[in-house]
Amino acid sequence: MVADAGMIAIGAGIAVGLAGIGAGMGEQAIGAAAVGAMAEDEKFFGKGLLMTVIPESIAIFGLVVALILLFVFNA
Amino acid sequence: MGAANDVKYAYIAARVRAMKGKLIPKEMYPKFLNMEIPEITRFIGESEYKKDVDELGKKYSGIDLVEHALNQNLALTYRKLIDVSQNEANFLITEYLRSWDIWNIKTIIRGKFSGASEDEILEDVVSAGQLRYRELTEIVKIGTVEGVIAAFAKTPHYPALEGYNGVLADIENSLDRMYYSNLIKVVSASGNKLFLKFLRTEIDLKNLKMLFRMKRADMEREDILKLLIPGGMELKDADLSRLAAMPLSEFVRAIEEYSYWKAISDVSGELTSLLNIETRLDKYGLAYAASISYYYPLSILPVLDYILSKKIEVDNLRIIVRGKETSLQEDIIKAHLVM
Repeated sequence: MVADAGMIAIGAGIAVGLAGIGAGMGEQAIGAAAVGAMAEDEKFFGKGLLMTVIPESIAIFGLVVALILLFVFNA
Repeated sequence: MGAANDVKYAYIAARVRAMKGKLIPKEMYPKFLNMEIPEITRFIGESEYKKDVDELGKKYSGIDLVEHALNQNLALTYRKLIDVSQNEANFLITEYLRSWDIWNIKTIIRGKFSGASEDEILEDVVSAGQLRYRELTEIVKIGTVEGVIAAFAKTPHYPALEGYNGVLADIENSLDRMYYSNLIKVVSASGNKLFLKFLRTEIDLKNLKMLFRMKRADMEREDILKLLIPGGMELKDADLSRLAAMPLSEFVRAIEEYSYWKAISDVSGELTSLLNIETRLDKYGLAYAASISYYYPLSILPVLDYILSKKIEVDNLRIIVRGKETSLQEDIIKAHLVM
């Protein structure tokens, strides 16, 4: 039982970790582009910020999967 | 284009897109035509050129002020592109902008050849390449063409200049050929196929303009071939040599098989003036740069598109202001504008 709980925790960790790396890779180019546009025109701040956080949803998917693992499968 | 390349160009591509958004919209040009010179000057002084107009306001006035402000702004904008770009983009932009070194060398030598004053020469100098404005102002002070050529001895352009024998066209032509052959070499080595495609199209358009001019002047095939730049996209060496041998009317028909024909097809009947054809080819170049930069948004192409658009904006403003100053008719000024 303890070993199962450990595997679930590792699974949850991998889900959050990989999702975070994926989101980071996505944000890399968008963030650079947003800063570039903002450097020329401050009006792009809002749009740039919005575009930059869009890949963040992938990290949230990872978090949701991790929470499901921890709370549903551990119960 | 791989993901790593996309990331590399994301910053500079987004930045130049934002910069392009600040260029004067083409709807403004017809309005300029209805304005008087002071109104246009005021508009320019309140636009993106404000800083340059304010800075140079103490030294120059009227049309000269506009001309110097436009040139300074162009040079600073291009220099900024070099400063804010990194790695491959920085290298390619620097190499491409060396064309302004060629422009400055030609301007100074032409100026000295025709006995223009230092101020007149400096009016047309745009220090957007690797030669700095201060160096160029020092060179402008030299009295003779030979002296100017000697002053460029340490630059990579010297091999094209050292053969000067009193004929300007020869060294100008070898400067151009050297610039393009060197650019093709470094761009090929960098492996950036998109830049190469853009560059080779630019060479084609340049060659076409040259062919039209030379055909109208009834020049011999050998003389024309000496002036053409090898390395074009559609107009390969064999095509150039074939086209150079044809008389004007046959030459115009022969261009129909190339894709550039669609740019000039409706004005090809009016060969009394080449103005329409040259403006159309410039427009084609601009539209082509814009369209391929949309196909490959995360590449060097948006930067090249911006470089071209900015140059054309400055040219257009200069044409309008100079045209108004010399009281040219509106339709003549309009025919010169690329928009």
